[in-house]
Amino acid sequence: MHHSLTLDDLPRDGEKLDLAKISKLNGVLLLVGGIGAIISLIYLFGFANTKDEAGHVVVNRQGEFAYSWLFAFFFFFTITCGGIFWTMLQHISNSGWSVAVRRLFENLGGGVKWMAVLALPFPLIPGVRDSLWEWYVIHKEAAHHAHEAGTSTKEALHHMAESNHHLHILYGKYGYLNTTFWYIRAFLYFAFLIGIIGLLRKWSIQQDKDGDFKHTFRSRALCAFPLLFFALAVTFSAVDWVMSMDYTWFSTMWGVYIFAGGAWGAMATSILALTYVRRNGYLQKVVSGEHYHLMGKLLLAFTIFWAYIAFSQYFLIWYANVTEETRFFLLRNTGPWWYLSNILVWGHFVATFVLLLSAGRKKKTLSMNWVCAWVLVMHLVDWYWLVIPERAPSLTKGELLLSPGAWVGDVIAFLTIGGLVGWAYLRRLAKASLYPCRDPRLLESVIATN
Amino acid sequence: MAKTTLKRVHGYLAEFESASDVYHASEKIRDAGFQRWDVHSPFPIHGLNEAMGVKRSSLPFFVFFGGATGTLTAFLLAFITQVEIYPTVVQAKPANIFTTPAFFPIMFELTILFSAFTTLFGCFAFMGLPRLNHPLFASKQFKKFSDDGFFICIEARDPKFHQAETKALLEEIGGKNIELVEDEL
Repeated sequence: MHHSLTLDDLPRDGEKLDLAKISKLNGVLLLVGGIGAIISLIYLFGFANTKDEAGHVVVNRQGEFAYSWLFAFFFFFTITCGGIFWTMLQHISNSGWSVAVRRLFENLGGGVKWMAVLALPFPLIPGVRDSLWEWYVIHKEAAHHAHEAGTSTKEALHHMAESNHHLHILYGKYGYLNTTFWYIRAFLYFAFLIGIIGLLRKWSIQQDKDGDFKHTFRSRALCAFPLLFFALAVTFSAVDWVMSMDYTWFSTMWGVYIFAGGAWGAMATSILALTYVRRNGYLQKVVSGEHYHLMGKLLLAFTIFWAYIAFSQYFLIWYANVTEETRFFLLRNTGPWWYLSNILVWGHFVATFVLLLSAGRKKKTLSMNWVCAWVLVMHLVDWYWLVIPERAPSLTKGELLLSPGAWVGDVIAFLTIGGLVGWAYLRRLAKASLYPCRDPRLLESVIATN
Repeated sequence: MAKTTLKRVHGYLAEFESASDVYHASEKIRDAGFQRWDVHSPFPIHGLNEAMGVKRSSLPFFVFFGGATGTLTAFLLAFITQVEIYPTVVQAKPANIFTTPAFFPIMFELTILFSAFTTLFGCFAFMGLPRLNHPLFASKQFKKFSDDGFFICIEARDPKFHQAETKALLEEIGGKNIELVEDEL
C-alpha cells in the first residue's frame, strides 16, 4: 500500500541504469555471444562440414546447424514479439497499472531490429536456406526447368507434379508460397515490427523529456488498427519460416500457438528483468509487490491460453485424423520426442498452472523468479520440440533427442543469440530512464492495488 | 394477557456520516481488537478489507479441491463408460487410456463447473446464508444501509464487547444514533 506516495517522492528525471553496476552480467553475455558468433559463422558458412576426397559433403554440419539457428532464433524472436505485444496492449487498453514497468516491455520489443540482423543467414546463405526449406529447392528446380522450356515456374511445377504427386500441393500453394513473395513478406514483417516498436519507444522516451501527453494519445492511436498487422506479422512469420519446413503440413492454429508462447515467455523475461534491476537498487519506490501480482496474473492467463491453443491444435488434428495433418504429431509422439511432448503437457502447462494459482506466490519476488526461470526453460523445450524433429525427415538425422554432433550446434546457436540479445537488451535499458518518468498515468501505476 | 418476550442483545449499531468516516472508524475498531463486527454500506468501499483487518478468505483453497474433484469426476465418467463398460472404436482410435484427448473437453468443463459450484455454495456457507431473518432488521434506522446510511455493528458475541465501554468507543470515533439492537427470541 503506497497510498502516501506522491510524485514528489519519485526522482524527477526517472532512474537511469548505470551500466557499470551490471558490467559483470553484461560482460559475460557479450563474451558468450561474441565467441558463439565466431563459431556460429564457421558453422553457418559450412566450414565445419566434413568432405571426402571427391569433395562431396559427408557430414552436413551446415544443414544441421541451420536447424539449430532457426530454433534459437525463434526462441528469442517470439519473446521479442511478445515484448512488442505487451507494449501495444498496454497502450491500446489505456492501462494505468503497467506504466511503471512498460519501459521494460518497450526495450524487450526494441530488440527486433537485431533479430532482423540475426535472421540474415536464412535468406543469404544458400546452404542454410536449402536444408531448412525443401520447397525452396523444388521451386528453384522448377524455375530452372521453366527457364529451359520458356514457361512459367508455376507451370513447370505442375509438370513436375505429374511424375511426383507430392509436389502437387506446391502447385496449389503457389500463389502464397513462392520465392519472390516469401522474401517480400519477410521484409514486410520486420519493417512493420521495427517501425511500430521504434515509434512507440521513441515517443515514450520523448515524453520523459517534455511530459507532453499527446504522446500518450498518439501511442494509443498508433496501436489500435496496427494490432491487427502485428497479429498477421507474427502469424505468417511463423507460417513462412517454421511451418513451411514441411510444406505438406498445415495447421490453422499455428500462428496463435506461436504468439501465445511468445507473449508468455516475454512476460516471464520482463518479470526477471524487473527483479534484476530492483536487485541493483532501481525501481524501489515505483514498483511494488502489486505489480508482480498483476504481471503474475497475466503470466497465469497466458499459461492457460497457451495450453488451450496447444490442445486445440492437437485435438482437431487427432480427431479429424487426416493423413496430411497428423504427420506433425506422429513425428512428435513417437520415439524420444514422446517424452518431450509429455514434458510440454505436464511442465509447460500443468506445473506452471498449479504454481501460479496462489495469489501469495505471485507477490513474492523470490518464488516468481523460480517460476519465471521455469517458464523460460519450458519455452525453450517448446521451441526445441517445434523445430528440431524436422531435422529427421530432412537430413535423415534427428530421430534422437540429441543427435550426435548436431546437439552441440543447438547449444552454440542458443548461447550465441541469447548472449547477443541479452547484452543488447541490457544496453538498451540503460539508454533512457527505467520507467516513463513523466507519463500522465505514472502515479496511478505506482499506487496501483489489486 | 400481557406477554413479555425474551430478548437477547445482538450488539451496538452506530451510524456514520460518510464512506470515509466509516473507513477510519473501522481502522480504530480493528486496532481495538474486535473480532465480531461488520460494516454495512450501500456500496463497496475500496480498501475496507484492510481497514477492517479482514483476513484473506480461505475459499480459494476449497475451490482448488472442488476443481480437482471435477477433473477427476469427468475423467472417471469418461473412462469408465468409454473404456471399461462400452469401448467405442472410432476411426480405429484406441479405446484405452490414450484416448484421453477425447476426454479433455468434459474434464475442462467439469473442472470449471465444480469450481463455480464450490465458489458459490462455499461463499453461502461462509456467509451463513441462506437465513430467514437477521437481528439487525429489528432496527428501524438500519433500513438506510441500502440507500444512504453507513453503519457499524459490534456484536455482543465479541469477547471484547462491553455494554458501556463499547458504546463509549463508538461515540468517541464519531458514531451517531447509537442503538442497542435486541433480538427477540
